[in-house]
Amino acid sequence: MLQMALHRGSVLGAGFVGATGKCYTVSMSQVQAKIAQQEFALDAEEIARQLRDVMPDPLGDHYVVVAGKRYPPKQVISLVTGLDRADFNTHQARRILSRLGFTVGRRSRESPLASPDRPGPHRGREADLLRPFAGRWVAQRGLEVLVAADTPEAVLGWLERHNQQADAMFRVPGDQTTATGVAPA
Amino acid sequence: MRFPYKELPGASKDYLRPAVPVAVEGISRAPQLCLLDTGALHNRFAGWVAHAAGIDLTDADEERFVVGGFVAAARRASVQLTLGEVTWEAPVWFCDPWPLAFHLLGQEGFFRWFNVRLRAAIYEIEITPEA
Repeated sequence: MLQMALHRGSVLGAGFVGATGKCYTVSMSQVQAKIAQQEFALDAEEIARQLRDVMPDPLGDHYVVVAGKRYPPKQVISLVTGLDRADFNTHQARRILSRLGFTVGRRSRESPLASPDRPGPHRGREADLLRPFAGRWVAQRGLEVLVAADTPEAVLGWLERHNQQADAMFRVPGDQTTATGVAPA
Repeated sequence: MRFPYKELPGASKDYLRPAVPVAVEGISRAPQLCLLDTGALHNRFAGWVAHAAGIDLTDADEERFVVGGFVAAARRASVQLTLGEVTWEAPVWFCDPWPLAFHLLGQEGFFRWFNVRLRAAIYEIEITPEA
């Protein structure tokens, strides 16, 4: 059960949702939410800080982007509230995070478009999917990036913890040397 | 076995490389992307792979060479590798530092064992084990 209430002294803004009065935004970066009969004051900057060193769990269909990383919405809400993930659903988590100003999305609705003008077996689609991870280690299944991290050990640890099998692991090139082996002049 | 070329992003242009995923014993959850390097004499992998896979390099043969403008120390071990459904035992030189995005498959530890056809025009790799 989730409700979001108006924070005392705050201004009701564009965050109002529906006529039932259940969902309000306190400010552009704060909401007060009632989840599983408990009240929580959630702050976007604080959430980003708490997630700074947290690797995303395997994604389902839904995700939220925090500091450039995609997380399952329920992972984020569970982490910042301490609640069990069974205490709320994905749509509730998405709604709160969206109100906090985070980008939320569905993976099944997105697909970088292959271009017939570009070379390659996937017409540039794979390169485009990898581009945001330049310089980082990734584990890939199909064309999708399962996990990205700054060290190969972190990627391996994530695969082990989440019992995931990758198709390939490598470092996404961040420069010409990494991609080709050609030494800088 | 057939594999597509790997599309790797670049700043001004993307890189299309004939690279395949090779599983190393001990870290089979994460097959390592390896470039088919016909000019390489040996299989050369990043040093962290040996550590992660629990491969003991104590008392291993050691040599120094230059890759990507870096002088790297390489130590040799015999390792079980798997490509698709084919598993073989091959010497691998584990290198530190390792500047590349992928590892290298060379003559001694790979091409000796496989018949490889690169079809660059259609970005496809065909690999069959040697009889």
